[in-house]
Amino acid sequence: MSDSVFFTPSRRTLLKLGGVVAGGAALAACSSKTTGATGTGSAGTLPGIGNNGQVGKGRTGANADTLFVAGFQWGPPTTYNPFSPTAAWPASSNVMQIVYESLLRWNILTGEIMPGLAASYKVDGTSTVTLTMQDGITFNDGSPCTAKDAAFSFNIGKTASGISVASFFQAADSIEATDDKTIVIKVNQTTKNVGQVLQMLCENYVVPEKVFSALAADKVSSEIMTNPVGTGPFKVDTADQTQVVLTQTGSYWGKTYYGGVPVMKTIIHPIFKGNEDANLQFTNGGLDICQTFQSQIWKTWEAGKPTGTYLKAKPYYVPGSLPMLIMNSTKPGLDSAVVRKAIVTAIDYASISDTAMSGYSATVQASLILPTGAESKFFNQSDATANGWKYDKAAAEKLLTDAGATKGSDGIYVLNGKRLGPYKIITPTGWTDWNASCEIIASSLKAIGIEVATNFPQQAETTQAIQGGTFDMCVWYVSGVNPSSPWARFRDIMSQSLMKPVGTTTFANYGRWKNADAEALLTAAAQAADDTAKKAAYDKLDALYRKEIPAAPIMYRPDEFYEYSAVNFYNWADEKNTYAPPMFRGAGNTWMYKIKKIAG
Amino acid sequence: MSSVPQAAVLTQEVEPTPGGGGADKSISANRPSWRNLNFGPRMWVALTIIILIVLLAEVGPFVYPYASTLKVGSLYDEPSAAHLLGTDNFGHDIIAVLMNSTRNSLLNGLLAGTLAVFLGVLIGILAGYVGGWIEELLMGITNIVVAIPSIVVLILISMSLQHTNIGFLKGIGGLAFVIGITSWPWTARAVRAQASSVATREHIDIAKLSGARTPSILIRDVLPYLASYVVMAWVLQLASAILAESTLSMLGLGPSGVDSLGIELHWALAFQSVSTGAWWAFLPPTIILTLISFSLLYLQSSLDEVFNPRLRRGKKKNLAAAAARRAETARKLAEQNEKVEVLS
Repeated sequence: MSDSVFFTPSRRTLLKLGGVVAGGAALAACSSKTTGATGTGSAGTLPGIGNNGQVGKGRTGANADTLFVAGFQWGPPTTYNPFSPTAAWPASSNVMQIVYESLLRWNILTGEIMPGLAASYKVDGTSTVTLTMQDGITFNDGSPCTAKDAAFSFNIGKTASGISVASFFQAADSIEATDDKTIVIKVNQTTKNVGQVLQMLCENYVVPEKVFSALAADKVSSEIMTNPVGTGPFKVDTADQTQVVLTQTGSYWGKTYYGGVPVMKTIIHPIFKGNEDANLQFTNGGLDICQTFQSQIWKTWEAGKPTGTYLKAKPYYVPGSLPMLIMNSTKPGLDSAVVRKAIVTAIDYASISDTAMSGYSATVQASLILPTGAESKFFNQSDATANGWKYDKAAAEKLLTDAGATKGSDGIYVLNGKRLGPYKIITPTGWTDWNASCEIIASSLKAIGIEVATNFPQQAETTQAIQGGTFDMCVWYVSGVNPSSPWARFRDIMSQSLMKPVGTTTFANYGRWKNADAEALLTAAAQAADDTAKKAAYDKLDALYRKEIPAAPIMYRPDEFYEYSAVNFYNWADEKNTYAPPMFRGAGNTWMYKIKKIAG
Repeated sequence: MSSVPQAAVLTQEVEPTPGGGGADKSISANRPSWRNLNFGPRMWVALTIIILIVLLAEVGPFVYPYASTLKVGSLYDEPSAAHLLGTDNFGHDIIAVLMNSTRNSLLNGLLAGTLAVFLGVLIGILAGYVGGWIEELLMGITNIVVAIPSIVVLILISMSLQHTNIGFLKGIGGLAFVIGITSWPWTARAVRAQASSVATREHIDIAKLSGARTPSILIRDVLPYLASYVVMAWVLQLASAILAESTLSMLGLGPSGVDSLGIELHWALAFQSVSTGAWWAFLPPTIILTLISFSLLYLQSSLDEVFNPRLRRGKKKNLAAAAARRAETARKLAEQNEKVEVLS
């Protein structure tokens, strides 16, 4: 290299300047609060607007009559056959009732079962459930929808192979239409589980008999349908790999029942690659409502966006599911109830809620029952406080030392000759909040002398390990809040009849926890006729759970992330505007009929 | 991200000489020998950055008030007087985590780089010196390993490592081991080329005639001639190993329960720090990583200048002084020769 180059100051100065400018620009881009193109302003007294009181000016042109929604469909839509396991939104199972509708609708806030296609239902003890259909229901092709279609929608599970509605007949013996408006269901008298029957009535759609009876039994789930015939206010217009477009049918049966038809003429669900893309679009006003996990959602309204959540203060979302730390009772060390209690006492739940869950969870209680919402009537606060646990490192270590455990030179406890670790805690890779929770659990346990390492395999591998019982510890989901919860959750954790040996796939009691009393208590709770009897049965179940702790809730997660943006519509349901629960499925369809356009 | 251009070393190979810059030795016997190395400004810049980073990693944790595992705030708290770079997604102080991460990343680089160089030199020197079927076999294996994309092997081995309960394979050591055993081939190939050149020198024949055994010849008579090259390869392997660890950790394949620069980036991505504007979560580890690899590559390139007289450069006056010294020595030598001739 020549000397002249070595001594040329101009080029170097230029580079330095360039570096400073580029660095400054990068920092500015990172730190600046994004300002969107949508104009916003304070809204005065409009209901259901942004958490910051802001509201948009509304869109113009065709988009003014369009609702943009995301968070349900992540790949190209293939079929709108509701019996297909790969059905696209909104024909996929138990999502928002836009094209297909169910007989009953569940309200996550109140626990109420609300009318849907059925105007009313009557439960006769634990033997029969009778439903009466609404007046004048029609499918979107104009044909009438009767009780026969409704009964057929369940009875098809007996003949067609491999469809999920078949499980209805584990809880019910039969479902029949006695006339065009009446449906009678005979509850299975072995299980006598009315809650499970009602849950299925809330979660399964009514389909037209004439369309599906024409299909061969083996084609029911595999038939490709591009033009679904449902009873809902919208039908599929077009769909490709970028978006699903729905338009109003124009002849909706429920306009009297719901007090009018939805204000939007079109619903568009853009198909994003992942949460991050959807969240960015939501923040920038490109979506009206969204169902994705957004870290620090309050930053969107702090930045002046007209975004909102149901609750106006933390945790912002209404809890609806309990991700569980499940411990495998067949593993040395974890087979001891004392060790399991030490583990659940050592976990820093506040940290999990505060950081991993972005503050979207209250600190969890020592119970399998959610202390808020629909399940709160069964929650026993005094027993949970007296016999439960909360984060306390010293108490956790004391439990171990009282049981005779001694600390080895490596800082890890040994109990009855068994070293407490190394254990692995698994959950699927990419499930961000759960991954971070596992890290917090592992470091909490290391701090008291139990060795745990995190491991995040692919979802299929994780599922296999959990269902097969080959894991040490895992963070996994169990039944959320639904018409048969909390019974369904107790079954998922404590069932003895559904438990299978290690190596065989099971769908309940993944931790292979054995107990002589659990099954009788579960049956008693399932068959309890009224809330008082149920409460007594759940008290016993929860007391046994607190004594044995086969698993423990680590956070309260929303069942669905309900987050809206008042860029084009207002009157969204929220805690001050409580006409609908913060949901999409079940009774969550109510807001679709009530939101109003900002511009005109 | 994980591979450092090997051509940087391979194209600048020098004729092997013991200790590299021996050409100047006779010129100024009266000066301390290191002065003749003529470290350029590049070397000083690189060394300063490296020393600062090592201080941050090794001394920092002892003087900084917060531990990297201590929860001091909430999710992505903004920088404040108490926490100059804010907190990460776990509510830990970013500076504390950064110091611990840098330490682990450097340790990983050191272990992996040393292992890779050790394997590369061992295989290269044996193949180059011994020759024959051993050379064919070792180079055959090397070529096969070179042909397999190392990132694929790295990902597969690190995934299986996550299931292991073998003590030394867990944590940062395990990852370093995996990186070390997959990144030696190019070093082996280059060392073999140099070793086979040294093997034909006269001093090797003399060593053989003196009855020296092969291991002794390899260590005493071959290796010193390759020393300068091995040092440069080691520096490159270090940088490459640190980047490889970051790549794997960022993909979520890093060890459990430890901090590293890649793991910091992994969580920053997972918790959407880019879209929420939490620059303090992803910029510091990115800057430290950039500085580490920049300074190591800069050090390698300046070492090249030190060891290879043909690439040498420096300030004009230093070069002029060196030229003057050489001219002076040459003049004295010429005078001596003249005297000898006159006397004879």
